[in-house]
Amino acid sequence: MTKKVCILGAGSTKYGKLNENIIEIALNASKDAIDSAGITPKDIQAGYISNVFGASDKQVHMAPVVMSNLGIPYVPGLTIESACGSGSVMFREAYANIAAGFYDCVLALGVEKITHVGTIQSTTLFSYCSDFFYEGGNGASFPGLFASIARSYMSTYKTNEEDLAYVAVKNHENGMLNPKAHVRKRISIDDVLRSPVVASPLKLYDCCPFSDGASAVILCSEEFAKTKNSNSYIEVIGSGRGASPAAVQSREDITTIPSTTAAAKEAYKMAGITPKDIDFAEVHDCFTIAEIIDIEDLGFFQKGTAAQAIRGGATRRNGEIPINPSGGLKSKGHPIGATGVGQIVEVFEQFTGSAGERTIKDAEIALTHNFGATGASAAVHIFKKVK
Amino acid sequence: MKNMSKQEHDIFNTRERFIASANKGKILANRCLKCEHIMLETVYYCEKCHNDKFDVIEFEGIGRVITYTIQTVAPQGFENSGSYAWVVFKIDNAPFRTSGFLNGIISPKDLPIGARVKVSGFDPKHGLLLEKLL
Repeated sequence: MTKKVCILGAGSTKYGKLNENIIEIALNASKDAIDSAGITPKDIQAGYISNVFGASDKQVHMAPVVMSNLGIPYVPGLTIESACGSGSVMFREAYANIAAGFYDCVLALGVEKITHVGTIQSTTLFSYCSDFFYEGGNGASFPGLFASIARSYMSTYKTNEEDLAYVAVKNHENGMLNPKAHVRKRISIDDVLRSPVVASPLKLYDCCPFSDGASAVILCSEEFAKTKNSNSYIEVIGSGRGASPAAVQSREDITTIPSTTAAAKEAYKMAGITPKDIDFAEVHDCFTIAEIIDIEDLGFFQKGTAAQAIRGGATRRNGEIPINPSGGLKSKGHPIGATGVGQIVEVFEQFTGSAGERTIKDAEIALTHNFGATGASAAVHIFKKVK
Repeated sequence: MKNMSKQEHDIFNTRERFIASANKGKILANRCLKCEHIMLETVYYCEKCHNDKFDVIEFEGIGRVITYTIQTVAPQGFENSGSYAWVVFKIDNAPFRTSGFLNGIISPKDLPIGARVKVSGFDPKHGLLLEKLL
């Protein structure tokens, strides 16, 4: 019998180009989460930290450094890397340890600092997350890998570059309402279509930015949450993991991401719900094509129909299934190791009355979806508002 | 498709063997001795039955483009390559795909899906090199 797991507090730095050192960024988000939870560091029994490119800011083995600077150097920490999916994969481990009864209260923190290395170096570092012998080593960047997926999708389902642009426009519209978003700029379909090509058919506005930032949540058992007499916690009701062949070439169908479908199936089953029960979702829109594929793989739309649904407004904040009310990776930003945790922070803020103008009315169940690389690893989580 | 000689097989590790084969215009594969499933030679266990005993076989490095991108913003090592495509292609007569670097592709008009390509070698800086077949 596993324990019910709750999120008692959440915090995030602004995403974007930050001047602080990576540890300072991590500590700022951690302190926000600790304060939000109404606890002190002495309540924390373990720290889970996701990060990918710490070496670029001269810090690996980050967990003990973070714990030491939180004033709890004797509390064990663990650093987890799973490319862009690090945050959700790390969250799953934190979740599992509470559910299994090993701990009652833990910190789950994602952090990244990458903007200081510049675009070419960032592009290169990201390419190391691919199956490098077949992909990065043959000249594919991450925009290039997703561009090849986009070309395959567009050819199979007779969609076009304008369909992709609708995703970017919608997410930037949402990001305008998020004070912590990296790119707060309203854009038009024409802006996307006229932006410079990065890797054909993807253009600059089809791609998320490289961001610095950190996000953190405090996970705890339901019993622990009740001792804090807090009305501001949410419950984790579903958790799923999935995997795909690491290289795009090895996937039978390039227009779907097997790790997403597997993780979603597991999470829905655990929560005892179907995609129709989800009120909104934060999904991994590293590129516009990714969001289209994600929302089909998550079961919100039939295969090949998401582009048309997006054009019709189904994924806007007032639509049938709002997707990425935070602005998503596209507008809020993509601080790699922090991204999956940032999605959960958005759910916490939505369910605890602190999402301001971007609040999804009457939402009670939400889903987060985050994957690593081109979907080689993924995690899906489902959350319920606690009344 | 032909078996690799024992001498060739013993000389290198898996990736070195794959590269040596690519330099002859071929793609190296493993055929499972238990279930006969064929997969790229860099996989250590059969994807179907998990056996680890194989025949090593070579396919002609010729195939059909499944998808690709034309890289405008290139990673380090490829900045001076000019306009190029990263291509996923299906090897003729083999049940798998692989991917490589195809120089000189400027526009999607240069490379329709389904176009024919062949392996022309392996470059330490640019990986598996492809040529377009007319």
